[in-house]
Amino acid sequence: MRFALFGAVVALVLGSPGPADAHPHVWVTARTMMQFDKDGRVTGVRHTWVFDKFYSATALQGLDTDLDGKYSKAELEPLAAVNISSLKDFGYFTVVKAADAEVALSEPVDYLVEEKAGVVTLAFTLPLTSPIDARLGTLELDVYDPSYYVAFSFAADTPITFAADAPKGCAAKLPQAPKEGNPNDLSESFFSQLGPDSNFGATLSQAARIECAG
Amino acid sequence: MPRGLRQALMGLLLAALCAVLIAPATEGFAQGSPFGVPGAPPAAAPVESGGWFDALGQRFLAVQQRLHRQLGDSIETLKTERAAAGMLVLIALSFGYGIVHAAGPGHGKAVISSYVLANEETVRRGIVLSFVSAIAQALTAVALVGLLAILFNSSGARITGWANTLETASYALIAGLGLYLLVRELLALFRRGSALQHDDRHAHGHHAGHDHDHNCGCGHLHAPPADALKQPVTLKSMAAVVAAVGIRPCTGAILVLIFALAQDLFWAGVAATFVMALGTAITVSALAALAVGSRDFALRYAGAGSGWASTIWTACSLGGAAAIFLLGAVLFAASLGPARPF
Repeated sequence: MRFALFGAVVALVLGSPGPADAHPHVWVTARTMMQFDKDGRVTGVRHTWVFDKFYSATALQGLDTDLDGKYSKAELEPLAAVNISSLKDFGYFTVVKAADAEVALSEPVDYLVEEKAGVVTLAFTLPLTSPIDARLGTLELDVYDPSYYVAFSFAADTPITFAADAPKGCAAKLPQAPKEGNPNDLSESFFSQLGPDSNFGATLSQAARIECAG
Repeated sequence: MPRGLRQALMGLLLAALCAVLIAPATEGFAQGSPFGVPGAPPAAAPVESGGWFDALGQRFLAVQQRLHRQLGDSIETLKTERAAAGMLVLIALSFGYGIVHAAGPGHGKAVISSYVLANEETVRRGIVLSFVSAIAQALTAVALVGLLAILFNSSGARITGWANTLETASYALIAGLGLYLLVRELLALFRRGSALQHDDRHAHGHHAGHDHDHNCGCGHLHAPPADALKQPVTLKSMAAVVAAVGIRPCTGAILVLIFALAQDLFWAGVAATFVMALGTAITVSALAALAVGSRDFALRYAGAGSGWASTIWTACSLGGAAAIFLLGAVLFAASLGPARPF
């Protein structure tokens, strides 16, 4: 019997399924601003993604072409273009759902990459192919990489905001309070409270519910 | 022990072994969804069940994230007056990061475990393979970043592009190695099979003038498997494992190296990379040792020279080779997917 147990242990360790395969190399703190038209319908989402400093350093490597120690708009433009064009193959890591059905997204617009103290931020707007009235039903917004290579988490403060044209009473609800803010700063208390019931993994996927009551 | 019970136990063990061998091959599927279906939007979140295994996985993720961040902080500390303390912290963190990081695909964990399982390798050989492969991966990462970033000031995208190419080559080599081992095992099995058949004919008196090679010496079902199935353990095939695993630079190491370079502390990145490799090697060694250990335990339990022992050997050899091939093929296919945005 002992060896059967032994074999089972090996199987478990080697075959570790599911989240143990999760292997993020890039961490992103996401903020999203909901965009509206004049009639108060949702027209798109504007993402602002702040990267961890390792990915930031890699992304910036070799881009300071004039070697002035700064990253100008022109120097960062190629990075933004590459990011945006290759994001397409990954569905922009964004899923918008209305009435449990996925909403079609158009090509991103207004994208830019910024650098501040070695940290890279990517911002872009994903228009909905046709506007949706969030007053008629809840919208779901999820930002995540199913392959776990990129670990997304919504920012702790103002994870989801609403543009000026938003109808009154719009609010976003995240499944649980976000555990973190700055990707470069994760508090010790966060880890100490991680127990068997922790839902840290849920930060990989954290569909926000967007409701515009009234 | 009654014969029936013994056989039932052996069946269980074989099932467990099969699970060991097949499981790693699925690892590419688990991580490959965006590669497999280009343009498809991410599927719904798979993370929902709250079993202990998920909790373990999440804890593991959190630990990795924390180590990753503290690693960055410790490199930054090197620029301050607390440089010595920063260095110690950096080494400790890199070591820990390497140990947990090895669980991700591409660090040779499954390949080396399957290889030592399939071949008549000892725990010691498994450990040597793990360490040499890990060091080779570290060297590749350092060479890649040193050459491209320092010498040519290439962009990060270009460096990761090269890393991806090397990764694809690594997976192709792994698949090739698996295929080679599989063909070798099948040929050996076939030879044993025909030798058996030959003996049967002897027993039944059908002396039809066959001129089989009698030097084979393994024509009996109850021949000691250790002699019957012994494969010449060549340095060559071990070198092939090291080459296949080692030409893939660890993505984590590349990130750390470029980050260190950006801080004008490339040497600290190099140090971190090699310490990380040691940590990785320890995890991979442990898994390889576990694989060899359970196989040898099963063999001892089955009794040397028994039919079961022979079956275990065959299962290990064929299954291990097949697992290496499948793993390489799946990861190879996945690595051909669209370029990642970041």
